[in-house]
Amino acid sequence: MSIKLEKVVQKFYESLDEGKMMGRKCSACGNVEFPPVYACNKCGNYETEWYEISGKAKVHSIVLPAALSSKPEYKKLGKYAYGEVELEEGTRLNAVIRGISKKNRAELTAKLPVDCHASIFEREGGFKTVVFDLDE
Amino acid sequence: MSALGKYSRSVSIIGVGCTPFMYTVDNPETDGLTEGEMFGYAALTAMEDAGVNPRDVDFYFHGQASPLNGSNYLTPNVQIANWFGMKGKGSIHHSEACCTGYLAIEQAVNAVASGKYNCVLTGAVEFGDSTPSPADNIETPKHPYKRDKMTMDKFLRTTSWLYDRTYTRSLMAGQELIYDDAAEWYVRTRGITAEQMNDTINWMCINNRRNASVNPLAIERKTYEELAKEQGMTLDEYMNSPFNPRMGDFLRAGGVELKCDGAAACIVCATEEIGRIAKNLKHKPIEVLAIGSAACEATTPHFEVRATEEAVRQAYEATGLTGDDLDLFYANDFIITSHLISAEIAGYLPYGEGWKYICEGRTAWDGDKPINTNGGRTSFGHAHAASGLADMYEACRQMWGECGEHQVKKLPKTTMLRGYGGAQNVAAVLIRTLDK
Repeated sequence: MSIKLEKVVQKFYESLDEGKMMGRKCSACGNVEFPPVYACNKCGNYETEWYEISGKAKVHSIVLPAALSSKPEYKKLGKYAYGEVELEEGTRLNAVIRGISKKNRAELTAKLPVDCHASIFEREGGFKTVVFDLDE
Repeated sequence: MSALGKYSRSVSIIGVGCTPFMYTVDNPETDGLTEGEMFGYAALTAMEDAGVNPRDVDFYFHGQASPLNGSNYLTPNVQIANWFGMKGKGSIHHSEACCTGYLAIEQAVNAVASGKYNCVLTGAVEFGDSTPSPADNIETPKHPYKRDKMTMDKFLRTTSWLYDRTYTRSLMAGQELIYDDAAEWYVRTRGITAEQMNDTINWMCINNRRNASVNPLAIERKTYEELAKEQGMTLDEYMNSPFNPRMGDFLRAGGVELKCDGAAACIVCATEEIGRIAKNLKHKPIEVLAIGSAACEATTPHFEVRATEEAVRQAYEATGLTGDDLDLFYANDFIITSHLISAEIAGYLPYGEGWKYICEGRTAWDGDKPINTNGGRTSFGHAHAASGLADMYEACRQMWGECGEHQVKKLPKTTMLRGYGGAQNVAAVLIRTLDK
């Protein structure tokens, strides 16, 4: 029995404090789960192993924040959007992408997917999270 | 990817009940109504509609999205069975938030198809507009029947409970994409403009309201045409004015749910046992053909689209039906874009053309492709857990030809209800009227 009762969430956040963005890689098919969880959602393998993501990624969709979809805390993000992000490792997730505004939205949308990279962002409440920044 | 097996025996809906959807606290006649009274009314009217006695009902399923916040209960099913003659009978409570009422059908059908029970009640109640008084916090002792309005601020704080605490809330995107992701996806994949999407969203609101205007159970019945006239505006001017402000990247205020209070219920029976159990049967039974289901946590890109595609695929593969077989369609459209994208994914509206059908009014109750004939979540109202069963109430009554002023033109035989909610569960419920 190699399945471990392991504090994956705590290690994810503690790794961000150390400047590392950690996912979990499937030992059977190589799929990367990000954010990290126990099992592989691609092949169903029970086990995954810690894996530091490169941070390279692409943006596939752009939704701008508005009255219903923003919070006062998010002002710290500067100009940003929400969207589908694909990591270099192939994992796709909904994420915040900084550097997008009404001004460049149309130009970027015409060029999708566009390159971005992961960054560590400090949130209110004493923890850090992952956002993405446009490469250009 | 799951494949649905065939039910062990045929199961049918034989009776339905529903309260008006309302703001109970705002009206002296309804202020003070309790969970037992609301659910009890829906349950007893469903039993009367089915022609069964409470003693004929073996078990009941109770749905409520947020019983601790809305009713100060942990086990709401236990507290109210005696209100509708089922004291001592077994029951279970379940919550899938806004998808509860659709998966309530799933729970009931599985229980009967398995052979464990012959006849069950499945119902739901929600006080979406108020909480037990005092509404300060969940720990203080509550008044036996008085309720206080639930502020939008409190509602939005409690809806954060729908999202994964460990990652999704922290990453900030999943919970915010609920408002506009489907609109962005449709614009990008179908190649329409943002202006065309704006018109489509407005027309979904207009059509929903037209449907609600002729439905006595709906919470908001004044049409947008009337509202525009009152302001001396054209319909187009009104829909794009500060009276219908932009709230999202695409979404306007009229495309957001009207959260409210309500209850609804259905009687579900083994088809082979209907003659023995329902001695006063009033309608043709409506068979539940299949229920596809899928759930995507909100960090999943395009969670609504992906889960709807999977649930619909399951239901069609199990039955051999396609969108061409559907006569009527319901979508839980608390964010109104759901209405467009789920009808297209289900093949009820043609790929890339659905927005045109909507803008031409063809999806209103008197059109050739009716959707949400009761008014949907933006005009019928959204009593969260109860909404799916309210849609089933409306669907059955349309299929029985009992909708009077808003009866669709062609008597529907086959209907799909696309449930959605709880960040995010999806169900695709396929029902068809039995010939005898």
